[in-house]
Amino acid sequence: MTADAGRLERELADMIAGVSGGGISAEEVLAGEHPLSALGLTSLARIHLIDEIEDAYGVDIDLRGELPTFEHVGTLATALASLLEGDAA
Amino acid sequence: MTGSATVPFSGPRDGEATLTWGQRLMWRAVHLMGDSQSFLNCPWVLPVHGRRDLAAVLRALRALLERHESLRTTFAATPGGPVQRVARGGELAVDLVESGRERPLQAAERIAGELGRTVFAHGEDLPLRCVVVMDGGRPKALAFVFSHLAVDFQALSLLSAEWRALLRGEELPPPAWQPMDQAALEREEVFQARSARSIRHWRSVLDEVPLDVFDHPPREPEEPRFLEVGMESVALAAAAGRLSARWTVGTTSVLLAACATVLAEVSGRRRAVMQLVHSNRRDARTRSMVGTVGQDGLFVLDLPATDFAATCRAAQRNALVAYRNAHYDPYAMQAMREEVGRRRGREPDLDAFFNDRRGAGSWPNLPRLGSDEDVAGLTGETRVHVADAWPGVRFKVFFTVGTAAETGQLSLIVDTACLRRDTARAMLLGVETLLVRSLTEDVPMAGVCRLCGISAYGGGR
Repeated sequence: MTADAGRLERELADMIAGVSGGGISAEEVLAGEHPLSALGLTSLARIHLIDEIEDAYGVDIDLRGELPTFEHVGTLATALASLLEGDAA
Repeated sequence: MTGSATVPFSGPRDGEATLTWGQRLMWRAVHLMGDSQSFLNCPWVLPVHGRRDLAAVLRALRALLERHESLRTTFAATPGGPVQRVARGGELAVDLVESGRERPLQAAERIAGELGRTVFAHGEDLPLRCVVVMDGGRPKALAFVFSHLAVDFQALSLLSAEWRALLRGEELPPPAWQPMDQAALEREEVFQARSARSIRHWRSVLDEVPLDVFDHPPREPEEPRFLEVGMESVALAAAAGRLSARWTVGTTSVLLAACATVLAEVSGRRRAVMQLVHSNRRDARTRSMVGTVGQDGLFVLDLPATDFAATCRAAQRNALVAYRNAHYDPYAMQAMREEVGRRRGREPDLDAFFNDRRGAGSWPNLPRLGSDEDVAGLTGETRVHVADAWPGVRFKVFFTVGTAAETGQLSLIVDTACLRRDTARAMLLGVETLLVRSLTEDVPMAGVCRLCGISAYGGGR
């Protein structure tokens, strides 16, 4: 994992912990032992997270794509990085 | 009745503001429903634990009224549009009733239901009525009905949590966010942009959706016309929980997928279009606000050609789209719907709904069960019954997942001009069958009608 990818995962893990209202810790997210749904990430929290990602990174996330159904932070970070590269290109 | 009492209150501020988006939606609903708007009233019970005296209970009630502006608000039509008016001070009259032979909580639930049958005069009345249920001269429970303009189910849960703390004598920090603050926020650019995006989503669906929920012509309805059929099924809850874990989708998505499937099959279509009642409290500021925040999302599900597992995954994904686009200015939404109506000849009828009232998405007191076959064996204990009836609630189909912790509660309101009561019953049992059978085998979508004992009503297309 590159330093940038690691930083993105950490930022996203903190955001996931924030939208979960304290139910999920950033460390649990980063450990990746369980799908986020199993950790208790609700649909409402996912939508809140998508709002936060859009506001923080200035991207527009298409909910019909694969990105909103992520179950691990690594998948989310990869999808977001690809979106950010697309915007930069 | 054994007496009455008055609860005077004096809050930190008063004021007048435009309605929040949630209030605008409910304002329109109460006026559309007219005399049937009591359907929208929210009965609620707060238990009094321990040996509290009446003065302590009334103090805690006063604290709730003073903390939450929504509970001191009336609503009025003005030339500039409807407004919320927050009173700083006033008083709430409460009746005191002895529970007699009934258990106090049971009496409170009955009384709350009775209080809910009278509509509110929203321009004059406080948006709540309260009766203190006594047992041997001591308060044991409070029976309420709230106007849905003032609370949603999340707000009621907040009130319950605060009530326990206030009765213990705890000092609570003042609420940081009130509906007048929310109304100001919703005028800001970022919220207007979200509203515009949501309305674009709805428009894209409304441009294509069939004009009616059902193709068949209406028949002679029953009297009263709108019937609610209820089902209590441990098997339903157990199966939904197991499938949720197996397929990594929420229990709401599993139930929504099954309800949408039976609706699509009964309407003779491969696409279900439903409005999702949505709590909408994803913004942290609204999480501790007593008010009505919920708005409806628009959910579209094309039944896949494969199996029910794929249907649940599609439902989860499409519900996210619906939830995200459930945040909009109802006035702008109505203007768009009217514009679509002019273009298509009339507004499409979106009167099919799904509402999951559970907060946590689980059934915490479900009995421990063994194998999947054991779950299937429980279907013999399922109860289905007519739960209620109204003359004019304006729904064609309305599924509600109830809040019982020990069993799966699923109810279905139907317009009997569209669907007979035995069809409603078959649809509920069809949902149960679909979930229970999916525990032990892959259920192909092509076989759903036969499996569930349902068919296209009146010949669909």
